[in-house]
Formats: sequence, C-alpha cells, structure tokens
Amino acid sequence: MDFKKLPPVQEQIMKCVRCGKCRSVCPVFAEIRNETAAPRGHVFMVQMLRDGKVEPDSEVYDYLANCLLCETCSINCPSGIDIHELNAAARSYIYEHHPSVSKELIFDTLWTKPSLLRTSTKFLWGAQKSGLQALARNLGLMKILPGDLPKAEGILSSVPLRSGRSLVREVNPARGEKRFRVGYFLGCGTDLFQPQVAKATVEVLTRNGCEVIVPRETRCCGMPHLANGKMDTARKLLAHNVKIFNGYDFDYIITDCASCSSALTEKNIKFVLGGLKIEDEALVFADKVMDLTKFLVDILDIQLPDNPDAKTRKVTFHDPCHLANAQGIKSQPRELLQRLPGVQLVEMAEANRCCGGSGTYSITHYDLSMKILDRKMDNAMATGADYLATCCPSCMMQLQYGVRRCKWDCQVVHPIELVYEYYQSLPEIAPV
Amino acid sequence: MDEAQIRKDLVDMLGKDKVLVKDLDLMYYSYDSSFYTKLEPKNPTAVVLPKSTEDVQKVMRYAYENHINVIPRGAGTGETGGCIAINGGIVLDLSSWDDIVEIDAANMQVIVRPGIIHARLNEKLAEYNLFFPPDPGSSQMCTIGGMVANNASGLRAVKYGCTEQYILGLEVVLPNGDVIITGGMKSKAIKNVSGLNLTKLMVGSEGVLGVITRIRLRCWPKPKARGIAMAVFDNLDDAPATVLEVYREGVLPSGIEILDSSAIRAVNQFKPEINLPDAEAILLFEVDGNPPGVEYEGNVIKEVASRRARQVEWSTDPKRMAQLWEGRSVTAAAAARVRPDGSRIFAGEDISVPLSKVADTLRAIRTLGEKYGIQVVNYGHIGDGNVHTAPVINPENPEEVEKVMQLVHDIHLLAIELEGSTTGEHGVGVVRRPYAELEHGLAVKYMKGIKQVFDPRGIMNPDKLF
Repeated sequence: MDFKKLPPVQEQIMKCVRCGKCRSVCPVFAEIRNETAAPRGHVFMVQMLRDGKVEPDSEVYDYLANCLLCETCSINCPSGIDIHELNAAARSYIYEHHPSVSKELIFDTLWTKPSLLRTSTKFLWGAQKSGLQALARNLGLMKILPGDLPKAEGILSSVPLRSGRSLVREVNPARGEKRFRVGYFLGCGTDLFQPQVAKATVEVLTRNGCEVIVPRETRCCGMPHLANGKMDTARKLLAHNVKIFNGYDFDYIITDCASCSSALTEKNIKFVLGGLKIEDEALVFADKVMDLTKFLVDILDIQLPDNPDAKTRKVTFHDPCHLANAQGIKSQPRELLQRLPGVQLVEMAEANRCCGGSGTYSITHYDLSMKILDRKMDNAMATGADYLATCCPSCMMQLQYGVRRCKWDCQVVHPIELVYEYYQSLPEIAPV
Repeated sequence: MDEAQIRKDLVDMLGKDKVLVKDLDLMYYSYDSSFYTKLEPKNPTAVVLPKSTEDVQKVMRYAYENHINVIPRGAGTGETGGCIAINGGIVLDLSSWDDIVEIDAANMQVIVRPGIIHARLNEKLAEYNLFFPPDPGSSQMCTIGGMVANNASGLRAVKYGCTEQYILGLEVVLPNGDVIITGGMKSKAIKNVSGLNLTKLMVGSEGVLGVITRIRLRCWPKPKARGIAMAVFDNLDDAPATVLEVYREGVLPSGIEILDSSAIRAVNQFKPEINLPDAEAILLFEVDGNPPGVEYEGNVIKEVASRRARQVEWSTDPKRMAQLWEGRSVTAAAAARVRPDGSRIFAGEDISVPLSKVADTLRAIRTLGEKYGIQVVNYGHIGDGNVHTAPVINPENPEEVEKVMQLVHDIHLLAIELEGSTTGEHGVGVVRRPYAELEHGLAVKYMKGIKQVFDPRGIMNPDKLF
C-alpha cells in the first residue's frame, strides 16, 4: 500500500491549522510538556515524511511512536482530522523501510498464530510459578531485555495458566428461548490474560438467550500490529477474521475487548484497507460487530432479578480510549453496572482519560506510561471504590498493575464479571 | 556564530533537559497556527525550556554577548508567525513554566509564570470566586504569557476589555539580561500612576522588547448569573443597528457575536442538528452579573432586538443557553469543514472596524471572496467590531494560495480604509508587519526608537511587529 495514497494522508494533512487544541487534551503531552509531543507536531512530521523532507528512519519513528493512539486528539480536533490514523500509517510507512527482526518475530510469527501465542504465555506462567522469573530478576538477567522491557515485566506478572479459550466451548447453546446467534470475538488480551472475562461473557450471553459460537480460528484483531507499524499484517489478520466469521450466519459479533471492537469497526476497516476497494464482505462483518456492554444494554436490554441480599459494592468505571473515543460508547457500561443490584457507581474524575496502557505502549514507554497511570490511579482511588471496572483487557492489566503499585485494596474487573458473579449469587440459579 | 557551538554552549549552560537541539526537535518548533508558517515553516537554532528567571537571564546574557536572536514562545497558538525564528535564533518555550506563584484573593490579584494556560488559571481562581475576564477562543490552549505579549481578548471584550486592563505589573528580562519589574518593585496596589507606564508598553509588544517571566494580574469577582439571547435578521444592516440600540438603552452585554449567512450555512452544513434559521445574520448576546440584573438586561435586549429581528429568544436555562451558544462555539470548526477537499486558513482573520461599518465590511469581504473565487466564512465579535474571516481553500494548490494571499491583502487594506485596524486581538507578528507604516505612519519610527532603547543589538524577536 502506497502511504502517500492513503485517504487520511491524501485528504487530511492539509486540514491541520495547528490550532493546538490537541495539545490541551493529549495525555502524553501533559507529561512531556514540550512541542515534540504535540499531536499537531506529529501531523506536521507525517507531512514532512509525505513530502520527503525527512527520511523514513527509526528516529522519526521514535517521535511518532511516543503517542498512545488513544484518539483523544482526533475526537477533539476542530478540523476533524483522524490524527491517530495519520500516525499509525506513518509508522507502517517507516517500518516498511526499516523492518526489524524482533518485530517480525513478535508480530508476524507469534502474534498471528494464537496457538504459539498461548504456548508462549504458558511458558511465562511456568517461569513465574517456578520462580524462574524472580530468579532472573534477582540475578539481573532482566536487564538484558531490550528497551523498557526490564522495567515493564512487572505488568505481566500473575499470568494465568489457562487461556480463555480453554474455559469456553466452541458452541454454547442458548439457555431458554434462543433470541440471537452470536459470534464471540475472543481477543488475545482476554484469552491470555483475563480468561475469567471470557467465561463470564459466554455464561451471561447464553443465560440471556444467545447461542454463542467461539470460532477456534479467530486471530488477533490487528490493533497491536497497527500500533507497531505492521499495517500489512493487520490487513491480513482482518481478511482472515472476516472470512472466518462470515462463514457463520451470526446475528451479531460480540467482543468484550474495546480494542478489538474498535479495530473491527467500519471506520478502522476502511482505514486498514487503505483506500482499496472496500470488500462488501468486510463491511457485512463490521456491521455485526458490537461491544459487549452495548449489546447487553441496547439490544438484549438485560434485566437482572432483584435480590435484597445483594452485596453492596462501590464501583468506579474507567473508559477505555478504544471504547469512549473510538466508538463513543460511554453510557452503556455504566448503565449495565447500574442495573446490578447492590452496585453504587461512583464516577472518578477524568474517567475518560487514558490509563497509559495502550496495548504495548506501557512496555515500550514504561516511565511515561507510569506517569499517566499515576494520574489515573489518583483519580480512581479518590472514589474509595471496591471495584475498578473497565472494558478492555489491556486497560485491566495496566490498572491491575496500578492497584498493586499503589497497594490499593481494590479489584479490577470487567463489568461482565460482576454480572456473572451476581447471577451466581442468586439462590435460585445454580452456579455453572 | 556556529550553530553547533550555540547548541553546545546552551546545553553546557542549562543542562540537556532544558535544551532541545536535535534537527527533529527543532522541526516541531517551526510552526504556529498561522498560514504563513504552514507555507514556510522555519526551524530555530535551538529551543530552551526555561524554568526560572535565572534560566532566562543566562540565555539573554549569552545571546546578547554573541548577537543571537531570541524568540519567546507560549503555546504556539498565535496566527501571525510571531513566535517563529524566521531568521534563526533561540526559541524560549515558556509554556511548561506555568506556576501560579500566589493567589492573593484579599487583594483580588494573582501572580503567575508565563506558561499557565488561561482555562487552568480560571479553574483555580474559581475556587476563590474570582476570574480573569478576557476570554479568548483558545482558552484551553493559550498561555497567559502569550495573551500578555499579544494583548489578547476574545468573546467578552465588549464588557471586560482586553488583557492590558488586567495587568498590574510584570517581571521582564531585557535583552542584556537585566531584570525589571514594572508596576512597582513591591507594589500590590491596584491603582498606580507612578512613573512611566512600562507595563502598558510591554503588553502587546509581541516579545520585541524583552521576555515576560512573571505576571501580576488583577482578577474580578465571578458573576453569579448569565443569560443568552439569540436574534435572527433578514437584513444584515439590522444586526449592527440592533447592537447600537442595545448600547443606547444602557445595556453592556459581556459578549455580542455575529454569524453572517456564510457562517450560518457552514454551521448547518457541519452540524445539521443545530439547525440555525436561514438568515442574513444571527446575533448572540451574552449577559452576566447578578440574577435580577441579568434578567432585566435580557428583557431589554429582547425588546430592542424584536424591533428589527425576525426571531428573538432569551434564556437563562443552562441547557438552552448551551444550545443557543452552540452555533457560535462550533463556527470555527464548521468553517474548517465547509469544503471536504479544503481547509480554513488563518490569514486576514482578525480585522477590526468601527461598529458602524461592520455590515459594510462583511459585504465587502463577501464581494472580495467572489472576486477571487474563494469561499469565505465570516463571524466575529461584533460588539467591538472585530471580524473573523475564514477563507477556505486547498492549501496545497498553488493557484488557490496565490489568490488567497491577494484576498488577504485586500482584506487588510479594507480594514485600514474603513478606519479600522488589520488586527483586533491576534497581533501583528510577521504577517501584518507590512502594514505597519500604512496603519501607523510616523509613529512607527518612534516605536523603533523605543525598541532601540530596550534592544540596542536587535536580538529580541527581530523582524516582527514593525
């Protein structure tokens, strides 16, 4: 794909008047505090790349990669520029000129093959359980890892042994009268790091009249690849997933992961396909994709039976950027939480400000990521909540790390876990 | 002097955390919000991020000794190229030096460093029931230092005036490194006529006399009530006439905004749900103060506007006020999106004309747009005759660029011809410098003389203002 012919590059760069609105909302800029972190500056740099005034080299990549792709700038841009798309496109353009062996290994060899990815995670679990990771840390061996990885390895602590996929069946019949046939897009983050969310998702959906199919051939949604300059791979993954899911006759394709649902929206698909003829199949697919909380509230209109003995819990909600910014979904997760008997929803300040996780950003830019996380944790802890809920496995990992760092007695959960837990607490319904 | 040596010296002097010298770093400082820098971005030699008066002094002494240009910069939201090193030099990025040194609520004043963001300052002042009244559209982004340097104002200038009315004193580092305090070394007085008024001289001087490092601002009590009136006119001339009649009735709204037919179309095209009435002009009045006063003034505006307007609505309900004001608040964004393959540009965007000539001005700009075949969106602060023009072009099409530059030139000449000014609140910088002689005549010679006193070596933001 010719970078210069991508629609955002062709049509949007010229629209930037550098008004600076993006400076005022960017979480990375708020920490760095100079123009090199301003999103408008990144737009300018993409223009310089397009015009051949800077070389597509690793130094330019590093400037552009110091961005969470949280889309806060894009949704606030008065000129309507998709700044995150320009940035992601430029990263891929530079990567094409400067491919790296380690990225090929991680993003092409490993991250495109779910079975290999799961095996690697099990290896990590084994290292943690056997004490190998601690031993390596104590011996200083972690320091030989590249970049910020030695510091960031703490984020990956407590990797679960069982994957989400191992906890749910491929075909899960609806309980009671069947209302919809649903494809569950089980993303890598939930599958490998938050398997309990996968189980809760299937349980709650089936209890609410959905036949849930979990296609075993599902691959990554491509979001990590987009963020790391691997747009070509993201395109291939998309093509694969479209083919797999369109092979079923689903009413809806549901995912619990904000990043996955955002990657599979029509807008992102059009971007990833880069101005190519949009395949009808991809749009049919995108049309069915929906965030889990939106599906539960807007489509299923989930009603939870009352229980006077329900445990009273204070819950605060963190908006994942890929849910609130990329898809405008803010009310549904809150509505779902408020429908839960016993839940008292307490809004934190700046609930829609990025947590600093952003997939791989917390690993590639650990120190900055932690500064952004600290602000999030200050806001979250001020609520005195018992639960910190969010709808993205990457945010969950980052927030779990934040809770540990702050030694805060609070549980990080996906709202669906609380719904499932509530079902289990009801005396008339036997736990599954 | 050798650029590499300058960079090395600055790093040695201030440490690498406060100095940016890489080529890519410098590119990020080659622009502001002007169309001028969109066409011709210019890299500085180095960027310094000062955190103290001493840092600035060190830079100025070094620059003075070595005849190096120094260009102060806030958030880079200006529209004139004023913060750009157009002929090389050291850019002082003051935007991260943003402390609120003291909020002296008892004396209704606040002391800040130049990088504080306007909106953030007002958030802090609100805790004391105070506010800094000038209200630029870029409130979320612009720094107080930048506002002082440009004597900025904004939506509420009708009642509250410009930044200069609120500056009680300044700390300024001069080109030779001397530090002066204007408005009295130790003064916390609100009234002060002692000595030549160097504070007023510095406000609006666009960084050509020195670097503002501390600002003592006067604050006002925050109004308790607010109301919005919208009046819709079929005849453009009725809009300024109504504004005059409102004034004659003794009412001074905090803001009076106009959208002409081009802006109304742009808003409706951008956000159809706002659904502004199709008209030649819409006026939005904002009134603030105590609740009975607001109600009284609102009724007067309603009565006066009804004489000429097709439709008038007055509200003090926060939700409805937000809806009424939305047409104005999205105008800038709407102008930016009025043409899918184009962009609004910031050039010729800030002329100021006598109130009696606003309608003529809007018509003339429309005619000029037609002459050059360029779509133009007009809106602005009609209460003080400040017209914001947004030409919409494809900035990457050389023919359109050539035409728009002619249009902009004509707009600037029009302002002077109509007994106005080329800029009401955005400043001169590089882009309006060619009009200095035409606008100020012999006075420019004396302006240059004043600069010579402060900056004998001509290193302080050169090639700007005049």
